[in-house]
Amino acid sequence: MKKQTGMNAEKVYRLFIYVALITLSVSIIVPVAWVFLASVKQNKEFYGSPWAVPEGFYFQNFIDAFQKANMGTYMLNSMMVTALALLILLVVALPAAYVLARYTFRGSKLMNSLFKAGLFINVNYIVVPIFLMLLGGDTFLQDQFGGGFLLDNLFVLAVVYAATALPFTVYLLSSYFQTLPSTYEEAALVDGAGYFKTMIRIMIPMARPSIVAVILFNFLAFWNEYIIALTLIPGPNKTLPVGLMNLMAAQKSAANYGQMYAGMVLVMLPTLILYIIVQKKLTQGMTLGGLKD
Amino acid sequence: MSKTLEKRIFIFVCTVPALILLAIFMIVPTVEVFRMSLYKWGGFSNNKVFVGLDNFKILWGDINFIRSLQNSIVLIVFVTLITMVLAILFATLLTREKMKGNGFFRIIFYIPNILSIVVIAGIFSAVYDPATGLLNNLFALFNLDHLQKMWLGDQKIAIYSIGGALIWQAIGYYMVMYMASIANIPESFYEASALEGAGRIRQFFSITLPLIWNNIRTTLTFFIISTINLSFLLVQAMTGGGPDGATEVFLSYMYKQAYTNSSYGYGMAIGVVIFLFSFALSAIISRITNRDVLEY
Amino acid sequence: MKKKVLLAGMSALLSLSLIACQSNSASNTEDGKDSKKQTLHVAALESAYGKDMWTKVIDAYEEANPNVNVKLTADKNLEEVISPNMKAGNYPDVVLLATGRKLALTETLIKDKALEDITDVFNKNVYGEDVKVKDKLVPGFTDTLATNPYNDGKTYMAPMFYSPTGLFYNAALLKEKGWEVPKTWDEMWALGDKAKAEGISLFTYPTTGYFDAFLYSLLLEAGGSDFYNKAMTYKDGIWESKEATKAFDIVGKLAKYTEPTTVANANDKDYKKNQQLILDNKALFMPNGTWVVGEMKDAPRADGFEWGMTALPAIEDSGDRYAFTFFEQMWIPAQAKNKDAAKDFLTFVYSDKAAAIFAEADAIQPIEGISKNLSGDNQLFYSIYDNGAKAGMGGFAATESVEGVSMADALFRTIDSIVSGDKTVKEWQDAVEKASDKLRAALK
Repeated sequence: MKKQTGMNAEKVYRLFIYVALITLSVSIIVPVAWVFLASVKQNKEFYGSPWAVPEGFYFQNFIDAFQKANMGTYMLNSMMVTALALLILLVVALPAAYVLARYTFRGSKLMNSLFKAGLFINVNYIVVPIFLMLLGGDTFLQDQFGGGFLLDNLFVLAVVYAATALPFTVYLLSSYFQTLPSTYEEAALVDGAGYFKTMIRIMIPMARPSIVAVILFNFLAFWNEYIIALTLIPGPNKTLPVGLMNLMAAQKSAANYGQMYAGMVLVMLPTLILYIIVQKKLTQGMTLGGLKD
Repeated sequence: MSKTLEKRIFIFVCTVPALILLAIFMIVPTVEVFRMSLYKWGGFSNNKVFVGLDNFKILWGDINFIRSLQNSIVLIVFVTLITMVLAILFATLLTREKMKGNGFFRIIFYIPNILSIVVIAGIFSAVYDPATGLLNNLFALFNLDHLQKMWLGDQKIAIYSIGGALIWQAIGYYMVMYMASIANIPESFYEASALEGAGRIRQFFSITLPLIWNNIRTTLTFFIISTINLSFLLVQAMTGGGPDGATEVFLSYMYKQAYTNSSYGYGMAIGVVIFLFSFALSAIISRITNRDVLEY
Repeated sequence: MKKKVLLAGMSALLSLSLIACQSNSASNTEDGKDSKKQTLHVAALESAYGKDMWTKVIDAYEEANPNVNVKLTADKNLEEVISPNMKAGNYPDVVLLATGRKLALTETLIKDKALEDITDVFNKNVYGEDVKVKDKLVPGFTDTLATNPYNDGKTYMAPMFYSPTGLFYNAALLKEKGWEVPKTWDEMWALGDKAKAEGISLFTYPTTGYFDAFLYSLLLEAGGSDFYNKAMTYKDGIWESKEATKAFDIVGKLAKYTEPTTVANANDKDYKKNQQLILDNKALFMPNGTWVVGEMKDAPRADGFEWGMTALPAIEDSGDRYAFTFFEQMWIPAQAKNKDAAKDFLTFVYSDKAAAIFAEADAIQPIEGISKNLSGDNQLFYSIYDNGAKAGMGGFAATESVEGVSMADALFRTIDSIVSGDKTVKEWQDAVEKASDKLRAALK
């Protein structure tokens, strides 16, 4: 008898847990799925119950988002900036992380603490000074050569992305390098391979899991970022999230919900696809660094 | 070429680009924030006036600043507590109770974390809309009309509505992180304590929690910084600080002063205060959560 | 259009584009005469009216005045294009850029006393016509702080495109229900009670930002233009006066008649939902400007919907009714190189030819009789002053920035709290007076 009730309590307990888990899942799935459904609704459907299923598949929203709201161009811009920023980041961060993990030299301690301190710098505080610095640079260039190029420049934006991601990336990579055995590189150095060769041929390939994690995290960060992009790109070369913000607060254009939700889908979709493909790696990667900004 | 010279060159070439980028785009701007907080400056004109600590003095009498400070603290406490408790709870349940669908739940819970904050703002304005919003219509569906609220229109709850969105986006990330560290705890610990007759709750407090404590401590510090950060991004994309400053957080107030009110120096002074505040908070938290770490 | 706030706060960033959009209408490669030709640099904000009208007007001017070669810079973010150049000493000769923009470049120049006194322009003849500029203008447009920012009788900014504001409503709904458009606030309250019985709210507003024109008109009704100018120049105690109290109390009462979901949507992202309330017959009136028609043109609406616009109801039976008008200003920087040529051009923009080009793009200047040539909704909107309403103009006087103090926040943003009941009218009034005290000390 006693065992019976014990089993029942156990069942109720597990049931309760499932209810909690499912509630949380539903609260996540429903709004996201709702946006997908809303993106194929016609404008007039937004004035009824929000729970209504779309009457049809109104793909025109996406065409409008691409053409009228320029989301196609913004998407290309976003892709370019994200790819460029990742490239710059890896080229700059990998050697630095490796050296910081492996060598002690004059200033290495200071350098380490600089990068660590960088982890605490919230980019939002410094966007404004960065902007003013670039503006100052442009004004100077304007005086000297009659034209500046620092603002409104997607390449500069990519550089700023890479720079602000440096502390986290260097931290993550160098803690991974530290876990690697040093026997391989010692052997390579003894064999007469130079420092550069050792690093590029031996060590960097060994750090692949951490590199994958860095790419994933920073892809998400760069793709989704809007405050820096909004500040440094005042012209028409917007990135996707900024374009979406424009679409949400679209002034003077008529209330067009379908187009707005289509825009949201365009921003979400690449990250969702990537996530579904690499979700194992992503969640594994988290434990490498154990944190993010 | 001697070996030491080669090594020096190698170290130099590897570190200098990173250092230059760090210096130009992080260190210099940070120093600028501190320096400009001592000036009265509109932002674009050429007359910067050194005013010493005046900007900071004005701050303490500025009720709007105090309000944004309160809002931020409310958010930090509310969001941190709920996110942490739920994340640890769900992580424990999923890992320890060997629930079916473990992998599925983990995938779902993580989704909000990969969304742009702009998208989250869009989602939640669809959720919170008073007339056609998902939340109010859900209550209507279950005849719970008395629970319907002006989620972003009622000043008493607007800040919690923002908090709700922040919890929604953060919970999965921290859960996955804690799941990883709980999974690392050797099963033998639990077996031994089960033999001693310890129940689930005892096990949680005597094994799970102490063993992942270090992880919680580190994440807590970064969680606070990230809450300050994300609350600003969300507010900016969602309410713009309204209604009447009810969702103003200190970073959004800093932006408002620096731009809209042409008080750049003052804005930077607010930045300095937030900076010091988050540092102090991190230090305090790391102090009070300091326990003897159990190793396994 | 001042309401076309771009993005949440952020867009308030100054920057520069690489290539200023320039359209150089005249070729420089003619014979030796070029050296005598004067180059006039015109910079104009490309607003909702588009850029074409500027190119056309400049073509017309170059045709009328062959001695001038006009270089046009028209951009949606004009500040970002011209201000780096201005810092480098390259000033445009004539600028069309209104006050009240987020970047407040015009205000900055006002504060720095960097505008040219153009009082004499109004006594000149319109270029190519035999009429003085001031005789063509609708009276009153050059008498306010919006053109005479230092309140010293001298005009520094010329009034250009204006756009009246008022209360917008569904004319068809009122007709159908047999309701009169209220002429006094008492009638307004009576209508509010009637509408309430039918489940319609009396009032809504897009965001509190839209209360600027509304409150300015209300203050004018309550105390007349002398009182209004005192309020706009932060005179001590003005916000605690009897007149101001009247205005505050009216808004306090209106708050009780406001549609309940208004506050929740009164932000830059959701404000259209509040405008939608009018289209859906859920609320009767909202303060807005003429641009709302275009803004909501694709939105679904109640059957037979028809835009109506009225001035604010009068406070007393025979009291004045006001409809505030925004207008964009054109000015000459004090550091411009070709000031005389700039002044000539400034007279030309009021010529029949130029006005017709502008009007074609719906950009209406305050020229007498212009509303007769308009069509559709515009005729209705621009004839609002023909029906006895007075035009309110001019906003707050320029001040230095004061840390942590913003009149817009104190005066407008607080209305959300009045409507939601979080603050009392008295608290609001006190806070406005306090902000006014602080700003007075920073008056230029």
